[in-house]
Amino acid sequence: MKPTRLRATLTGVALVPVLVWTLFPIYWITAASFKTELALYARPPQWLFTPILDNYARVLTNIPFFQYLKNSLVIAIGTTLGSLVLGTLAGYGFARFHFRASEAVRFLVLVTRMAPRMVLVVPYYLMMQRLGLLDTYTGLLVAYVSFALPFSIWLLIGFFVEVPLDVEEAAMIDGCSRLGVLIRIVIPIAAPGLVVAAIFAFLVSWNEFLFALILSGVEAKTLPVVIAGLNTDAGPLYGEMSAAAVMVMLPNIVMTLALQRYLVKGLTLGAVKG
Amino acid sequence: MAAGRAGRWFLLPGLVFLFAIDLVPLAYSCWVSFYNWWLIRPRDIRFVGLANYTRFADDPEFTRAVVVTTLFTVGAVLVEFLAGLALALLFAQPFKFLRPIRVLLLLPLFVVPVVGATMWRVIFHPELGVLNYYLAATGLGPLPWLSDPRLALVSITLVDAWRTIPFMFLVMYAGLEVLPAELFEAAAVDGASAWQSFRHITVPLLTYIMLLAVLIRGMDAFREFDIIFVLTGGGPGTATQTIQILNYRAFGLGHMGEANAIGIVTLIIVAVMCYVLMRAVLRPQAAPS
Repeated sequence: MKPTRLRATLTGVALVPVLVWTLFPIYWITAASFKTELALYARPPQWLFTPILDNYARVLTNIPFFQYLKNSLVIAIGTTLGSLVLGTLAGYGFARFHFRASEAVRFLVLVTRMAPRMVLVVPYYLMMQRLGLLDTYTGLLVAYVSFALPFSIWLLIGFFVEVPLDVEEAAMIDGCSRLGVLIRIVIPIAAPGLVVAAIFAFLVSWNEFLFALILSGVEAKTLPVVIAGLNTDAGPLYGEMSAAAVMVMLPNIVMTLALQRYLVKGLTLGAVKG
Repeated sequence: MAAGRAGRWFLLPGLVFLFAIDLVPLAYSCWVSFYNWWLIRPRDIRFVGLANYTRFADDPEFTRAVVVTTLFTVGAVLVEFLAGLALALLFAQPFKFLRPIRVLLLLPLFVVPVVGATMWRVIFHPELGVLNYYLAATGLGPLPWLSDPRLALVSITLVDAWRTIPFMFLVMYAGLEVLPAELFEAAAVDGASAWQSFRHITVPLLTYIMLLAVLIRGMDAFREFDIIFVLTGGGPGTATQTIQILNYRAFGLGHMGEANAIGIVTLIIVAVMCYVLMRAVLRPQAAPS
């Protein structure tokens, strides 16, 4: 029993600084969003304070926050739907049909994710300018689907190959088409995979900054661009900036906690079997 | 197993979309990079051959950006790798509340990068920041976290580490999970120390995963933009101006030829890294395991 207890103590001692390092920034900005201006600049820093909602009220009235929220949401939901439809089809294709070089093509799909976004955004800007799609939902949406898609495909392949083949074959003997099998049999069985792919795609779009910074001006401006814009060293905005930042990261935190079971599988993309 | 034909209709929409959205802009980018092309002078676009490339070949600012990018990438990946490995080893032994703690440790990876950088900017603030207050109180500070040319790069590396240690941890933890327990039991029976079984069992079996994690993270760190943009914007001066930030500035000045040329060079560098990754990944899969 002794060594186990010792090990437990040591683990605890090692974990405390790690947890502080990880969580303190999140805690600190959340606390700041509920502080009065006086408390924000207090020296020494205030750990106990009476929380107020003024910062939230101000950020919601001083800037068109709901307009930006709508932009972010519409684009993120569109990205989710787009990458789910294309990802389901392609994922099923890779899972069930093997052709020459299918392994290589599958890997090529992943490689497209690696291209530096800066390389893409400059020509993309020029093309969107020519098409008159700058500062529109469509311009960002198309780009984001292409960011989310490789991930969705890889994730879904992993879920689709686990669907038992004989169930599918039985349905096809009963006269179901391939697409029918996918929609009526495979998708319901692999539903958890689709949920994970959906959430990942949503976050890709919700978090994206560079394309939004360059392609959106006023009409299609998304929340990360707004946050970066509020980011000044001029102190008076700290309260509002914190409140906005907390609202923007809230969906991420909720989804991460909801998604925890699938994180390992999703993030390692099957590179690690487990 | 079903072959070809029918599969095409499942694969084509996604693949065509993906390659169109990636390849068409890249081809266009290549083309633009051979022109003297200013955004404000759309009527005065001239073919200049490789001039945009040769210009920054002997431009000290570009050389400097390459150095900064390399320092940042190598430093960040090294720190993140070591921290991630240490954490993964710590979590390899089950303990109380392992699962909830593990989730909490993953949070930074999922927070909006711009928001994460904003948190740290508040913490790093020279006069109002909480970090400098306690450093001053203990006599260690205050430190110019983001305004000193050398320290700024370290601060950015720290923030990047905060955000992506969870990724390193997760990948290596998943790798450790699938190592056969019998090997360690046998080693323990033979009287191997913890270090010996780490050195002779864990490291060799985990090499592939480690390599994968380092390469993926290396490519991501190489193209990092959001965090640097929010924290320093490349400053002070050009102290934290990576190739990506330089590229953004060329774009901001409206110099499309140069912006695209820098982009193409970046792409070539990443493509080489990708090739190495592909070789590393595809080979072990070909071998029967």
